[in-house]
Amino acid sequence: MNPEFLFFWTAVIFYGISTLCYIIGLVSRKEKFFSVGALLAFIGVIPHIASVALRWIEGGVLPFIEVSESITAGVMVAMIVFLIVQSSVKRIKAIGIFILPVNFILLSWAGTLMKEISGQLPASLQSYWLWVHIIAASTGFSLVLIAAGMGLLFLLKEKYSKGFYEKLPELSRLDDLSYRYVAGGFIMLGVMIISGAFWSNQVKGSYWNWDSVEVWSLVCWLVYGIYLHLRITIGWRNRKLAWYALLSLLVMVVSYWGIPFVAENFHTGFRIEH
Amino acid sequence: MNKIYDFLRSVKLALILFISILISCVTGVMFFPDQQAKAMIFSSLWFNSLLILLVVNIGFCFFSRVWRRKITPVSLGMILFHLSFVLIFAGIVYNSLFYFNGAIRLSEGETLSNTVPQSYDLAEWGRFFNHARLKGDTTLVKLHTHYKVNSADKGVANQILVGDGNDKKEGFVYITNHMDYNGFRYFRDRDGFSLLIILYDKHGRERYGAFVPLQSLKQKDGTYLYTSGTAVRSGSFPFPQDPLKPLLNLQISYSPDPQKERAGHVYFQVWPFREGHHVQGEKIIAKGEAALREKFTAGDYFLSVHEVRYWASMNVRYDPGLLIILTSFWIGLGGMILTTIARLARSRKRQDTG
Ligand code: HEM
Repeated sequence: MNPEFLFFWTAVIFYGISTLCYIIGLVSRKEKFFSVGALLAFIGVIPHIASVALRWIEGGVLPFIEVSESITAGVMVAMIVFLIVQSSVKRIKAIGIFILPVNFILLSWAGTLMKEISGQLPASLQSYWLWVHIIAASTGFSLVLIAAGMGLLFLLKEKYSKGFYEKLPELSRLDDLSYRYVAGGFIMLGVMIISGAFWSNQVKGSYWNWDSVEVWSLVCWLVYGIYLHLRITIGWRNRKLAWYALLSLLVMVVSYWGIPFVAENFHTGFRIEH
Repeated sequence: MNKIYDFLRSVKLALILFISILISCVTGVMFFPDQQAKAMIFSSLWFNSLLILLVVNIGFCFFSRVWRRKITPVSLGMILFHLSFVLIFAGIVYNSLFYFNGAIRLSEGETLSNTVPQSYDLAEWGRFFNHARLKGDTTLVKLHTHYKVNSADKGVANQILVGDGNDKKEGFVYITNHMDYNGFRYFRDRDGFSLLIILYDKHGRERYGAFVPLQSLKQKDGTYLYTSGTAVRSGSFPFPQDPLKPLLNLQISYSPDPQKERAGHVYFQVWPFREGHHVQGEKIIAKGEAALREKFTAGDYFLSVHEVRYWASMNVRYDPGLLIILTSFWIGLGGMILTTIARLARSRKRQDTG
């Protein structure tokens, strides 16, 4: 087995066991399982990064071209952001109960789609806008993922109050945290769309083509724009917005990795005819 | 008057517009191929009217609410953000009135005038586009197949010369690099082979020669067939071409040498030319392969391909609203960031004091 795949599946296994720990923790309401889960997730990130790095070195090409590569790298950034949030925001160990299953499922799915290294970076992708685009897209995803996780914690704490739920931050604090990560994600998605438009303008001379990937990312962005208006203009808070954050994530995942998968357009494979 | 104003600034209208636009977008991309969706929805008058109505609505709605408020970093950011929406759409509308977009196709060595419509395969422009802006002519000097910039392979690059008389500008147009001449931007689009075909009489004397551009047809196995015909299938054409009287019907395909540039073999199929007759009904005169510059016997004539050149098709665009649109993107982003940071700072202060 080549080392890249070995690292990749090692990471998947670590995330899988970590997911299991979080689920046990959730059911038994014992926080120590969360600590174990977080530790395993932390260890899993190392082979994950190694597999991405190996693919990059071997192919000489930013591994973000195939759908599987894009999921793998996106989940990698999401895991890193998760670990940063975990260590910087107090008392939210439990957020892994949402982040890990989602990332574990996405990464396993990427594993089933994995292809040979594509070799050369198509000339159309040799652009600095691509870097901005990719970094913004993956951090944007990571931030709204955390926001959805905060939303889930809010809903759980509201319903149950015993066990580890007592140790979670106040409901109002969870609500505020969720909003902050949505706001951050909204900015990053904005950067993603703008850099995509500049890149398209560089290659084709038109900044917007209404292709399905573009339209879906716009829909996503508007969905989070509506979140902000519901909160700021109309004054929604708490449970309703927590649900909204969770459901929006669904739109996000579909538009990031579901649509490029089925749509034949500029984003899929970036084929240019002779 | 007041009624119209109330209608335009109502949140209900905003909501209805938002939802209709979202549904249209999702329907367009989920159930129709990109091109069809574009024709039916995204380029349609009704969809674009909805967008414009939304922007007018944002303008009235947002600004009528925020108007007399104190300017703080939070509200300034929000104002910039919503203003950028209005500006982006103003730019789009302005551009749609003044733009020009044409596809110009040239063989290597060929020069076409920029001013005459016949130079463009396709051309469209806004209602107020001033045709006097089109000046000079365009030459395709050479097409480079593996153009290197700092050792990165940029793929195909069109070396072009654009301008008037002695005032010409040279540039290399490749996928991530366009050339700008007086606000007209040249973008690489498609390219292919163009063969110089010579016709000889039975004594071997040269009678006629012309460059014939070939189509690049993608095959099921992913390779390309370079052939005469239309954009979708191979086919024959009368030869010699207009305005001369045709003598033969010719179908050619070219297989490039994998090792050497501008070398390879040509496969000929030749039918007699008769006015009004389809090739299918005719008996074929000759078919077979010949190397470059090798004579191929076709009844009373000889044919040969003397030279391989490339043709390139480029998009020529003039978009005077582009600067407004692209700048407004950054204004909007700046506004978003300002509001968010100011809000975070405010809530931190509140936590510290309370
Ligand atoms: C009909 C359209 C729109 C109307 C009527 C509208 C109106 C408003 C109003 C009244 C506010 C709050 C001002 C305040 O009370 O302090 C606001 C804030 C905001 N709006 Fe809009 N807006 C519209 C469209 C949009 C769109 C399309 C977006 C982007 C998706 C957007 C993004 C925002 C953001 C980011 C904020 C600030 C949120 C924050 O403070 O974090 N708006 N809008």
